[in-house]
Amino acid sequence: MNPEETDNGISRRSFLRTSAVLSAGVAAVAAGLAPLRKLGQFSSVDEFLQKYYKELTPAEMKGVLTRIEDEVQRQYGIRPHVRDYKPMNGVEFVYALNLTRCVGCRKCVHACVAENNQSRNPEIQYIRVLKMPNDGTFDVDKSEHDYAPKSVPVPGSFFMPVQCHQCRNPPCVKVCPVKATWQEPDGITVVDYNWCIGCRYCEAACPYFARRFNFTSPSIPASQLNLNMSYLGNRPRYKGVMEKCHFCIQRTRAGRYPACVEVCPTGSRKFGNVLDPNSEVSYILKNKRVLVLKAELGTLPRFFYYFDV
Amino acid sequence: MLNYLRFLRRCAAVSFDGDWRYYSWVGLLTALCAVGLNAYAKQFVAGLEITGMSDQVSWGVYIANFTFLVGMAAAAVMLVIPVYIYKNEDLHDLVIFGELLAVAAILMCLAFVTVDLGRPDRFWHLIPGIGVFHFPGSMLSWDVLVLNGYLLLNVYICGYLLYCRYRNRKPAKWLYIPFVFAAIVWAISIHTVTAFLYVGLGGRPFWNSSIVGPRFLASAFTAGPAFVILALQVVRRTSASSAGAGSPVEGPDTGRTELRRRDATIADLDHLARHLPELAAVSPSELQACLAGATFIEVAAGDVLLQQGSLDNDAFFVLSGRVVVKRAERGRLRITRNIGPGEQFGEVSAIAGTPRAATAIAAMPGEILCLPADSLRRLMRNPRMNEIITWRMGERLMISDQSLLILRAIVQVSMIINVFLLANEIFTEFYNSNKHDVSWRYLVLGLDGHHALVPWFWTAVTLNVSAMVLLMVPLSRRLKWLNLACLMCVFGIWIEKGMGLVIPGFVPTPLGQIVEYVPSWNETLVCVGIWAFGLLCFTILLRMAVPILQGELSRSNET
Repeated sequence: MNPEETDNGISRRSFLRTSAVLSAGVAAVAAGLAPLRKLGQFSSVDEFLQKYYKELTPAEMKGVLTRIEDEVQRQYGIRPHVRDYKPMNGVEFVYALNLTRCVGCRKCVHACVAENNQSRNPEIQYIRVLKMPNDGTFDVDKSEHDYAPKSVPVPGSFFMPVQCHQCRNPPCVKVCPVKATWQEPDGITVVDYNWCIGCRYCEAACPYFARRFNFTSPSIPASQLNLNMSYLGNRPRYKGVMEKCHFCIQRTRAGRYPACVEVCPTGSRKFGNVLDPNSEVSYILKNKRVLVLKAELGTLPRFFYYFDV
Repeated sequence: MLNYLRFLRRCAAVSFDGDWRYYSWVGLLTALCAVGLNAYAKQFVAGLEITGMSDQVSWGVYIANFTFLVGMAAAAVMLVIPVYIYKNEDLHDLVIFGELLAVAAILMCLAFVTVDLGRPDRFWHLIPGIGVFHFPGSMLSWDVLVLNGYLLLNVYICGYLLYCRYRNRKPAKWLYIPFVFAAIVWAISIHTVTAFLYVGLGGRPFWNSSIVGPRFLASAFTAGPAFVILALQVVRRTSASSAGAGSPVEGPDTGRTELRRRDATIADLDHLARHLPELAAVSPSELQACLAGATFIEVAAGDVLLQQGSLDNDAFFVLSGRVVVKRAERGRLRITRNIGPGEQFGEVSAIAGTPRAATAIAAMPGEILCLPADSLRRLMRNPRMNEIITWRMGERLMISDQSLLILRAIVQVSMIINVFLLANEIFTEFYNSNKHDVSWRYLVLGLDGHHALVPWFWTAVTLNVSAMVLLMVPLSRRLKWLNLACLMCVFGIWIEKGMGLVIPGFVPTPLGQIVEYVPSWNETLVCVGIWAFGLLCFTILLRMAVPILQGELSRSNET
């Protein structure tokens, strides 16, 4: 470095050098960004600017639902019916699962995938069935996840399906930095797939391994698409957002049972309105031996396990 | 305002200037940045699928590095506290380096969080006012606030202090001291808040322990100052060589040549007043009295004005040209200052009557005013002159071995506390074997044939314990051993707080499944890119700050 040069600020030589260095830097950045050419349609301007679910007016919501229908049609070639089902007054959903009866057939897992338009590749499942040893420990650390017996039930084991427990005190909702996940008045914890930033903090917070992340764009064969869709429920998700069990919001808010309840061949799965004293779930909570998973965490699940005898 | 823009422009210009070592280092870092950017672009297209993460282990090496770097950023206060609270002058010059490191570390933190997001395009959802900010409910929203606040605080403090140094002006206390104290509290908070990100998760027993916060602080105050010790020596070495590269001076052994002197006149003092406006505050009669014994020297490049170790009592002011001050330390010659018009040298030993601490050599032809110590004292009776002269005495950039040893003491104590806290946790988890210890077992011993993290953990323990022992013995007062200890600290803590803290929290899952995590190649490249980006920022910030602190880049040599 020549002392005179620094003293005069930008001399001709250092100007040339500066521009050479700068253009080399710009070229390096441009070369680095080259893979972005493969990006294709990532996010439309409307989608980018879409407001938070709770701030949308009914008219704006209508526009959003139409846009989503357009998106699905463009991608799958079929036009779905996307609605924004609202919670019903005087309804709080709870779930009860009979551990005596469950045989671990996993029909619920697959009915859920089909109903809720989960990605088939990579496969995303909301329900995880644990094969638990009948050794008196009731310890999930001893559970088997990838069991594949020739027939069920299996002596010496019982089966415990786990899915979102729709906690009254949900840790996942507490940690979300943008309130993209929240608890609805009917007790369902939902995700706004257009608001989630994909930080996966909720996934780390959940004590029940109930949340699933779209590590890449979900893929579903068009022929298997469930066209009855809801905004907070089973409409196709985006790459980079979180999803989870929502008690089949598109069915339950229209007075039907969740897919997992309907498909269960042993009748282990019970679902209903806990605010109705005559409902099946109210009867179970009053009369059966009921327990919740990880009660010590104070999450207050709405998902109960019970035994027949 | 215009002045400030000119200052920024000159800073930007100087960052493109350097010797071949600077160019190759910056070039290498830029190339690595481009590689990282390329890897990130691939991830942006494919999604986080091309990382090693899964639903089971949903955070990986990105968040691990983030956690480590928050600690590095927080550690800047370990330089600030001794200076501003305990008035430790040895570290005074080094505060700026700590804060620049904090700036670079926070930029890396923000980059690591961004690459970890599934939807970085939706970052605006996080901006208070436009988006929906879950404050104070979510610890992540606290982290967004404290990290950005800390970045702004440090950018402001560094910017202000450097600008004052550039203008050769004394910084106004009320314009930076309140911010310095805010930054101290803030630094503790960024790390505590980051610890609470983990501690707050009741469903993860590995993290849900109140000792994690204190452990975070202890490890941060180990790794941060250890990194600063290493960085300062690099600065010391390279700033000496780069400033010396173009100078015509060979060394101090050229001997004291016969200088061309004449008695100084009042015109020479007027000349000085043009560069040193404070001199105008001194009355003409006082100025006249100062001329007794004062001489004017016309120097040629290479003239030695004072020799290290010699005893005389003259103070010098540069009227024109430049003078470099070199100091022989441990057999190596270092340029400690580069002095321009209006600035003084040699005044400390002149007033104290001590031997010269360094050798001063003219870097180019120029004019020097030489005042006897008595004349200088007389000038300093004027309060404004006194203020500017004493302030300048304190504002020198001197990275002395003494200051490195003070940092060593900080690293030493922090590492002892860190190892102690780790031992506490190990005892609690292992003595009374219960449900909580499964992740610890996985980390330390391996679980059901899965032991991906076991080598990492034991490497970290080995590094940390060896560093602790080394720091406790006098051997590490020697720089070579101190550097080794610091390297071990930085790597040991990086593992302990990265792979050793983030990953085991996810293994096994809350449902007892064991899925191991190994960072993918692409993920590793993104990390390399961000580290290169951070080092590039730190290098460029230092490239701007060092000449300003050395007086090489100042308002007096603006064109």
